[in-house]
Amino acid sequence: MEETKELRRQTQDSRDVSDERDPQKGKYMTFKSGNEYFGLQIQYVNEIIGFQAITAIPETEDYIKGLINLRGKIIPVIDVRLRFRQEPFEYNDRTCIIVINVKSTVVGLIVEKIAEVVEIKEENILPPPSIGRADKVQNKYVYGIGKVGDSVKLLLDPDKLLNDSDMSVIEQANDMVIEEE
Amino acid sequence: MAEEFNTEGMLDMYLFENEQLLEQLQEMVLEQKDSDCFDEDSINEIFRTMHTIKGSSGIMMFDNITAISHKLEDVFFYLRESHPDNVPHLELVEHVLTVEDFISGEMDKIRNGDSPDGEPAEIIAELDKFLDKIKSGSAKEGEQEEPIPQNVHVEPKHFYIAPVASSASRFYKIYITFFPDTEMANVHAYKTVYALKEVAEDLLYSPEDIISDPDSAQVIIKDGFRILLQSQSNEEEIRNLIGVGYDIEAVDVYECKAEEFLQGFDFGEHELKIDLESSVEDIEAKVKAAIDESKAEEKAPEKPKMAPGDFVIKSKEPGKKKQLAKDKPKGEKASFISVNVSKMDQLMDLIGELVISESVVLQNPDLKVPGLNLTNFNKAAAQMSKISTDLQNVIMSMRMVPLTNIFQKMNRIVFDVSRKLGKDIDFEMIGEHTEVDKNIIEHISDPLMHLVRNAVDHGIETKEEREESGKPDKGKITLSARTEAGKVWISVADNGKGLDREKILAKAKKQELLTEGKPESAYSDKEVFQFITLPGFSTNEQVTEYSGRGVGMDVVVQNIQSIGGVLDIESKTGFGTTMSLKIPLTLAIIDGIVMETGNSSFVMETGVIKQFFSVKENMMIHEPNGEEYVMIRGDCYPVIRLGKWYGLEDYRTSVEEGMMLILEVENRTICLFVDKLIGKQEIVVKPIPSYIKKVKGLSGCTQLGDGSIALILDPGGLVE
Repeated sequence: MEETKELRRQTQDSRDVSDERDPQKGKYMTFKSGNEYFGLQIQYVNEIIGFQAITAIPETEDYIKGLINLRGKIIPVIDVRLRFRQEPFEYNDRTCIIVINVKSTVVGLIVEKIAEVVEIKEENILPPPSIGRADKVQNKYVYGIGKVGDSVKLLLDPDKLLNDSDMSVIEQANDMVIEEE
Repeated sequence: MAEEFNTEGMLDMYLFENEQLLEQLQEMVLEQKDSDCFDEDSINEIFRTMHTIKGSSGIMMFDNITAISHKLEDVFFYLRESHPDNVPHLELVEHVLTVEDFISGEMDKIRNGDSPDGEPAEIIAELDKFLDKIKSGSAKEGEQEEPIPQNVHVEPKHFYIAPVASSASRFYKIYITFFPDTEMANVHAYKTVYALKEVAEDLLYSPEDIISDPDSAQVIIKDGFRILLQSQSNEEEIRNLIGVGYDIEAVDVYECKAEEFLQGFDFGEHELKIDLESSVEDIEAKVKAAIDESKAEEKAPEKPKMAPGDFVIKSKEPGKKKQLAKDKPKGEKASFISVNVSKMDQLMDLIGELVISESVVLQNPDLKVPGLNLTNFNKAAAQMSKISTDLQNVIMSMRMVPLTNIFQKMNRIVFDVSRKLGKDIDFEMIGEHTEVDKNIIEHISDPLMHLVRNAVDHGIETKEEREESGKPDKGKITLSARTEAGKVWISVADNGKGLDREKILAKAKKQELLTEGKPESAYSDKEVFQFITLPGFSTNEQVTEYSGRGVGMDVVVQNIQSIGGVLDIESKTGFGTTMSLKIPLTLAIIDGIVMETGNSSFVMETGVIKQFFSVKENMMIHEPNGEEYVMIRGDCYPVIRLGKWYGLEDYRTSVEEGMMLILEVENRTICLFVDKLIGKQEIVVKPIPSYIKKVKGLSGCTQLGDGSIALILDPGGLVE
């Protein structure tokens, strides 16, 4: 029950966003993390910077890598792979930081590789499939699947990516289901 | 409804302006609270302030503010017109402050998006009563001395009393004719008057009611506009001031003698409006002999209300020098603009960044190539460093604001509380212009208020007690501020009874705060006084409205500590108490020691570090449960290993390789073990982004010279 509601809400959200009439509409910044390509609506993206030294902060979630100095502004950075519970990867010179601004919280996302900016029409965005329990973990951040030619991009809800307060409830619910089984 | 117009910008403006007006008002009122009455200038000023607030509130449709300011305006109108002698000054001061409180309260509501729904009726009724009282009081006296005009709007202002004119003053009659088709000639006339006020020592014009009476426009067009002016300026300057507008047909300026000037407008005709009805005797008594008596017989209709905001021509106390026409110049007022703090922060960030990129350029490895001639480069570089340093200083100084406002607030508190408690207290302020970072000011307001209240309430004794102990019956509280060694000292000193050491010790004993085995005499006064800063500790037997509940001093200390300050208590029984706050000048920059543990840099505020120490392994005491202590010169301190505490990697485990820091926090001493010290540095404190949940023991972060980030350790968090 909880889930279908959540799903409905998500699709509603995406509709709301696409209703806005602005030139950035339908444009997505895509990047690679693990074997998937992900897409972020371009209006959230402030800039892309090269990898730089990160100051670790103790006692935080493992995916929060620490702080970077962005021209005098100190912003937190999170590792997208760790966020998605994927295997950690080694940072190299292709590693980039996407600086996003979600509801005036500025955060850097460490991604393996920046791909390109693509335009995805609304009719090419499908709701995420919900087969198998393992996928659900990912579906929390993914509100849709965009088709670009032959490939697909997982479209991310940046708000969920940063704040997992409401998701942990689902997680807990899931856990409980598992326990019951 | 007001919302139909876009009132948002107006509302901000309204709040901002009126807030400032009220602040000035309060300052002025408190300045003169101890004198016998308000002086002429203040009465005018209060009147004008109330008038402005009334006007703007009317526009914004805040009816209750309009009503109450109107009432106070009435009171001051009466005061400035009739000069009653027996006004109970303190009562008046209280009335003004009540009104001021009411309006600020309503403005707070407006600011928070609520509607201003306060009910002013009660205060208005009080004011009415007060007004009646001073009116009837002065009427009684008036029977014996001089008749007081019955109608407050009557003012015999045509009868002009010569100010002590400097010899260089000249007198002019100015006659301005407007084109017959000029619209609103009265407004144009007012503009002229306003321009002339700049140079006028005295100024009189006819018709007078040019602002309030729209019909005066006709009169001006028909008969012209006449001005009598006393000024140091010459004719040409005056003509320039008046200017020749498209609407002015002609300007005639005649210089005349003082006597002529004193006669007022002798343009001859009976249309001349001269007020006589009030009382001939009255006028005669005041008017100098120079005034042509024949004129005093002319009859004229009563004057309508004087244009608000205009000057008053005094009829009392002839001979005393008065500045009549001119508004009193309010000192050299600097001009201000208000800037959003976030913009300032942004600017500061950018400047910080500039400084770092400057060092990147100046220490660029490319410059290290041998054989380069860098003479000119170095010269230019030195110049650039100088500018960027200046730039940094300027931005820091921009964040600094004087303590004046907060001190004024304290003045008000002393006034209120002492009145309520029936204590007679002198309040002295020293160094209120000391400048402190804006963020700090926000933090010290409450603690300071508490200290001041305490001083009034149970610092200063009652009158009887003072008499008994042979002290002057007026108590004295001194609020002073000074800067010293990068810190601001703010102290509240009273000459009251002082703290009672025995009483505090007894209470501490009862609450089992004393260390066992330590005799009472072994406690220093300072230690004893520190007890009162503990939660739930109050020696006041009786809970009063203002203090004695035992909540307070601990909150004060907490607040002060949260901004890195300390509270120092000094007291001498029978002679008074001095509470001093020692706070950093700015929150934005602190002196810190930079150190390294594992691969991370940390900064610790210099103030809490007592010592650095290299310890030997044999000084360590290990407990089976993993806790560690270190024995230094016979004292045993608990040890925190920073690397272990935060689960860092690659930190040094052998105490002999690292460095021990002895910290003194909240009266406890602990040792912090770090890998190595980097150095001392002034650091710019930045908050840790709110996205990251609060980590115990970290209070912020900062950027080091090389652009890397260091975390600022919060010693309080480590102790917990």
